Amino acid sequence: MMAFKRILAILIKEAQDIRSNSNLLVMYLMPILFTYIWENFIPDMPAGFGAAFGLIFLVVMVGMYVPSMLIAEEKEKNTIEVLMLSPARPVEIFVGKGLLTFITIIIISLIINIMVGLSFNIQLIIIIATALTSLFAIFVGMIVGMISPNQMSTGVVGLPIYLLLLLIPQLSGIGISGVDFIARFLPTYYYLNILELTLIDRVAISDLYIHFSIIAFSSFVIFALLLYIYRQKGLLD
Amino acid sequence: MLIKVDNLKKSFGKRTALNGVSFKVEAGQIYGLLGPNGAGKTTTIKILTGQRRADSGQALLFGEKVFGRQEELLKKVGIVPEDANLYERLTIEQNLTFFKRLYQCSDELIDFYLEKVNLIDEKKTKVKSLSKGMKQKVLLVRALIHKPEILILDEPTSGLDPASADSLHKILLDLKEDGITILLTSHNMEEVDKLCDRVGFLHQGELVASGRPVDLKLNYSDNRVNVLYYSNETVEENLVKKTLQLDDPETGKFIAELIQNGRIKSIHSLEPTLADIFVKLTGRNLADDGF
Repeated sequence: MMAFKRILAILIKEAQDIRSNSNLLVMYLMPILFTYIWENFIPDMPAGFGAAFGLIFLVVMVGMYVPSMLIAEEKEKNTIEVLMLSPARPVEIFVGKGLLTFITIIIISLIINIMVGLSFNIQLIIIIATALTSLFAIFVGMIVGMISPNQMSTGVVGLPIYLLLLLIPQLSGIGISGVDFIARFLPTYYYLNILELTLIDRVAISDLYIHFSIIAFSSFVIFALLLYIYRQKGLLD
Repeated sequence: MLIKVDNLKKSFGKRTALNGVSFKVEAGQIYGLLGPNGAGKTTTIKILTGQRRADSGQALLFGEKVFGRQEELLKKVGIVPEDANLYERLTIEQNLTFFKRLYQCSDELIDFYLEKVNLIDEKKTKVKSLSKGMKQKVLLVRALIHKPEILILDEPTSGLDPASADSLHKILLDLKEDGITILLTSHNMEEVDKLCDRVGFLHQGELVASGRPVDLKLNYSDNRVNVLYYSNETVEENLVKKTLQLDDPETGKFIAELIQNGRIKSIHSLEPTLADIFVKLTGRNLADDGF
C-alpha cells in the first residue's frame, strides 16, 4: 500500500512537471500530427493506415525519449540524490516514471485510433500491441537514461537506437537483404507488422499470437537487461 | 549519541578523501565540520547517509550502521544537500507536497515551516523564479516536513548573501531549541563559531582538531592583549594602541605602571578566531581549494 502511494506520488509529480516541459509536450503532439498528415495528405494511403506511422513514432520516440529524459534530467539536476535518500525505492522511481509514459502512450494511441475512425475490435488489437511494444520501448528508454549523465547525452546515446527501431522496420521489405535480416530481431518490426495486418488486411487477434509473443519476449529480455545495468551502475553516478 | 563516525577511511583511486576521521554528535547539539573545498566534508556526509561506502571504519546514525539500513534510518534524518536540487518547473508547494507524499506525513508542517521561513505567501511560486536564498529555505523546509531527529546540512549558506545567511542561522538555532540534532559542513568559520556547540577541522581528509569553539580558542590562544593607553597626558591625541605578549615579564610591569599612572584606556585579550586556528594547524586558508 505504501509502495503504491509512493508510486502515485512520483506519477503525480511527473504529470505536474510535464505540463510545463515543452520538449516533452511537443514530443507527445507529434504522433497525432503525423497521423493527421499521413491520413489526409498522402495520396493512395489505405483508409486508417496513416495511424501506423503515428503509432510507431509514438511507441518508439515517446516510449523511449520520455523516460530517458526523465531519468537523465533527475541525474543532471541532482534531484535523483534526494529521491534516493527518501523512502522511495529505486523500483518505485522506475515504475512511477514508466507508468506516466505508459498511460500517456495508451491515451494518445486511443486518440489516434479515434482520429482515423477504427472499429472497436481493431482498436483493441492495436491497444494491446501498443501496450506491449511500449513496455519494450520504456525499458530501453530507462537504460538510455541510466547510461546518460545528462539530458543532452540521451540524444547521443539514444538516437542510434531510436533510428534503428523506428526506421529499419519501415525500410524492410524494399529489397535490402541486410535491412530485412536486422528487422527480424526488432520488436518494432513485429509491431509494424501487426499494424499492417490489422489496418489493411483486417486479420483477427488469433492470427497475431506469434507477433505478440515475440514482442512480449523482447520486453522481458530488455527488462532483464535493465535490471542488470541498474545493479551494475545504479541511478547515482 | 545520535551520530558517531569512527576511524572512517575512503579513497578514490590514489586520492585519499578521508583518513581516519572520528567524531561524535550528542543529541540536541549542533556540530560543525569545517574545512576547505575537497577536505572530505561532503564525502563524510555521503557515507553517513549511505550514498557511499567507506573503505573502513564506521558511520553510525542512532547507534546503527547506516549502510544497508538507509531506508529505515533515513526516515528520521533530514538532509539539505549542497546543490539546490529542487524541481524547478514545480511550485514550492508542489515540491513539498511531493516529498510529503513520499514520507507519508501530514500537510500541517509544510505551512508551519513555510511560515517560519517567511515563504508562505510564495508557495504557489515556481521554484525556477526563486532566489538562491529562498531555494535554500525551501530545501530546509523539505528536510523538515517529516519531523527528523537529525538534520544534516552540506554548506547551507554557501553563495548566500549575508541577510539570507543570517536568517538561515536564526532558523537553525530555533531548530536546535526544538531539540533537533544538527550536523553541518561549512567553510565559513564565523558561521560555525556562531552556531555550533562543537566543531571539527577537516584538512585533507584528516580531523586535525575538534572540540567546543571556546576551548579551541583557549587552547590555541597566543596570549596577546591589545592595550589602549595615553602616552602622556590623558587627552585623546595621546592615545596609543599596543599589542603585548602576556608571557613576556615586561608586559606585567608595563601594564602595572600604566594603571598606577591612570593612563590606561582599555585592555582586550586577543582571542584567535577559528579561522586563525585553522591556518595555524594546517598552514592553509579556508578559501583555498583542497585538491
